[in-house]
This record gives sequence, C-alpha cells and structure tokens, in this order.
Amino acid sequence: MLEAQSFRRALDDAGLEKDDIQGLASAGYGGMHEVALAEYLGLTPTWLESSSVGGSSFEFHAMHAYRAIQNGDVDTVAIVYGNNQLSASGRTLGTGGGGGGGRGGMALPLPMSYEFPTGLTLVGAYAMAAQRHMHQFGTKPEQLASISVQTREHAARNPNAMYRDPLTVDDVMSSRLVADPLHKLDCCVISDGGCCIIMTTEERARNLPHRPVFVRGAAGGTTHHSIAAMADMTHTAAAVSGPKAFAEAGITPTDVDMFAMYDSFTYTVLVVLEDLGFAPKGEGGAFVTDNGGNLRLGGALPTNTDGGGLSATHPGMRGLFLLCEATRQLRGEAGDSQVTGAEIAVAHGSGGWLSTQATVVLGTEGT
Amino acid sequence: MNPMPDWSETPKWLMPRPTKEDREFWEGAARGELRIQHCTTCGRHQHYARMLCSHCGKQTLEWVTAGGSGTVYSFTVIRQNGVPPFNERIPFVVATVDLDEDGARMIAAMPSLDPDLARVGMRVRASYRPAGDELGFVDFVPAE
Repeated sequence: MLEAQSFRRALDDAGLEKDDIQGLASAGYGGMHEVALAEYLGLTPTWLESSSVGGSSFEFHAMHAYRAIQNGDVDTVAIVYGNNQLSASGRTLGTGGGGGGGRGGMALPLPMSYEFPTGLTLVGAYAMAAQRHMHQFGTKPEQLASISVQTREHAARNPNAMYRDPLTVDDVMSSRLVADPLHKLDCCVISDGGCCIIMTTEERARNLPHRPVFVRGAAGGTTHHSIAAMADMTHTAAAVSGPKAFAEAGITPTDVDMFAMYDSFTYTVLVVLEDLGFAPKGEGGAFVTDNGGNLRLGGALPTNTDGGGLSATHPGMRGLFLLCEATRQLRGEAGDSQVTGAEIAVAHGSGGWLSTQATVVLGTEGT
Repeated sequence: MNPMPDWSETPKWLMPRPTKEDREFWEGAARGELRIQHCTTCGRHQHYARMLCSHCGKQTLEWVTAGGSGTVYSFTVIRQNGVPPFNERIPFVVATVDLDEDGARMIAAMPSLDPDLARVGMRVRASYRPAGDELGFVDFVPAE
C-alpha cells in the first residue's frame, strides 16, 4: 500500500500523528477512492479534495489547500498519491493496453470516441504538439533530447532514481521512435511509487522540526481535453497560470532558483519553459542547450534535480513528486543535487494531453 | 513495412456509438459526406457536434456538408501501439486537420499515406471508411 507508506513517512518527517490531519486530498482513481483511503488510513477528515485532472491534480490540491488553510477552513492537510503502475500494467500507459481493448460494451466518452479509432496514443498526442512547435519555430529534436540528457545527470546523483547511467543526445536520437518526433528516451519512465505532502498553518509549521517552506503563489487552468481541441499546440494554459502565480508571489522568472516540472515528455518541459516565461516563445530549444545546458545544476534554471519523470520515477502521475522535490531543495535537503542557496522554487504540473496546467510557487522564510 | 495495412475491420469497442447529438456525423460519413455544424450567429463551424456553439455559446446550430478539404495543422507517425488492431497497422499517420470551413478542426487517420511524406501544412481531402452498415469514419488522404 504505497499511499499508506508515503503517508506514514510524511507524518514522521513532519513530526505529526495521524489525528493531526483534518484534510485529505488525492486523485486519479475514480469512484470514492479518496474516501476509501481515509478509511484505510483511519482518518475522519472534515476537508476533502479530489480534483482529478490528470498529472497536475496535485498542484491544484496544493493551491486549494493553501486557500482553505488561509481561510481557516482547515488546519492541516495531507495530499497523498501512490500507484503500482509498473507492477500492475507494465509499460503500457503511453501506447495502449492500459485503457484499450477491455472496454466491452461501454461507449467511449466524448471526445475520445473520435480520437481512439484513429489509433492515436498518449505519446502520439504529445508528439503531434511537438511536431507543430518544430514546424513553427524550427525547434530541433536534438534540443528536445538534451532535456532528457540533462535530467539523467540529476538522476545519476539520486540513488532512488530508476535509470542512472549517463545518456548522450545521440543515445536519445538513436532510441526508437515511438511517435514522431518523440523517441523512447523522450518519454518518461513508468514506475511504481508513492508520495505525500503535508500542509499546515504558518503558526503550526514554525513549531515543527523542519524549516518551513511557504506557498507564495498558485494558479491553474485548462485549455482543452483531447489534443485536437488544443487550439494552439505551442501554447498551454501555463501561459496564464504561470504569470498569475508569479504575480501573486511577487516574483519574475529570473528569481526562480529551481524548477520542478512535470516531464511526461521532453516537449512538455520545453513548451512550459516558454509559457512560464523562462524563455521567449519559440526559443525554448535554445534556452535548454545554451550555457552548456541551462537545466543542469549550475545552469540558469536547474530543473528536475531528482532525475524527473524522464529518469527517476513516474507512477502514472507525477504531480505530487514535484512539490516534494521543490520542498527538499528549499529545505536544503537535496543532498548531491542541492541547488546552492535555493530560496524560490516552482512546481508545475501538466495533466492529460497538455490539457491541465497548474503552477505553485514555493519559497523559504525570507522570500 | 506493409505498404497498405488493412483498416477495413473495426473491432467492436472502437465502433461509433452515435448519440442524438452526433448521429448525423457518423451517418454522413457512411454516405461519403463530411457533416459538421455551422453557427448562424457567429458564422463559425465546429466538429464534433454539440448542443451549443463552442465558439460563441449560442444554440443556433445547423448541419452543413463540408467541402472535405483541409490543411494538416500537425501530425504524428504512430510507430508503437500495443492495442489490436493498431499493432498490426503500424506505422501510420494520425493528423489534426483544419477544415477549410472556419472553426472546424478534426483528428483523423491517414491510413494510405506513406509516413515519410507527411508534412505540416499539406493539403488533404476527406475519404470515407465504413463502420458497419450504417455508419462510417472520416479519414484523410493527400489532396494531390
């Protein structure tokens, strides 16, 4: 039970016990899973949140929990996720199998009744968006590949990462094409995994063992569900959520010390780097490779310092892990991957088919 | 590589299950017609069919037959799909096509197109593939 394991570890880390938790958030299972989870954990929460909008759900949860705590609706919230995706379904998430043949007599819901019969896969949807970006801005597959390479460098420093051997751009480019222009090594891994974040009031956080990390701004949104309805495949809802969250936090992109980005695919990182204003629109490819690699430790924007979904872990949805890594960095607990003096971190989730985007700005005491 | 994979059989789970709202599209495809909605308020079009106009929100929609021509907004070549029958059809092109009718965009397979010849911006026209006796799918082929 990965959720229970994560929950227990987070309680220990926070110096809390289960009865301190009055709010519970989780996503991704359907039905009344979040309620069943509360029962399993022995919780009787009075604040529940189960926004289920794909991989970015957990950034939405953090935003909603932040507002609810500020408003006095709830004192302490646990956001929990766990999934044994790899053990249960193998590596089928992106190219069928997982949601495929077994639908029996159930009608495909709109708009998927139009999309599934074309044979499009999840990887294919992201690939189509990447293809458009390449067409419009001249982005090169080698620039996308570089994102994977730089992320692997971080994974090499993380003993818990799934893949840690060094990677070159040639390795990515010569891995098989899954859906043009995305290669196998442009795609995130499939793993098992669990994660839990505990959020509480500023007052309470100050009396707990760790140096608190603060939410400074948050925003989210959606532009479409299926990829064909994405009016402009080179702009996501991050172009709105980013500036909104940054404005609330009173920061600009250059203030950000590290970036925890949902790297479902290399293109997801590239387009959101632009949408959040880390690079001008169309220049994400150059930003990624400039300066010897701006996503590296020591680069302009160390990104996915734990090795990301591309190399470390991706148990179906990764949004919660972003908040966890950003928190580690701001506490100065990121070990070999520590960004020196990190004070502002951004965790950004992307869900569905680039469909839902949410940005959370985190900061240390002084920010 | 199989030069012309077989797209004629559609497994049951992929068969269209028309609703009251969109039956016209699926039946039109069986007749070789690309049926889309036109909004008499804002003048734009939409695919797939809805109760209201996704551009302006009004309920002033009428069915029209599109010319069947469009431009590839983007595409991908599916080289890995674990689900039958697609695992026997790879590689194949899936495209997002902007129809010439303003506002209407659709996703479609291009089963007969050599993946090496697929391009963003290429002109395409609709082709029709039966799905059972009364319904059909809309695919696209190069316009030339």
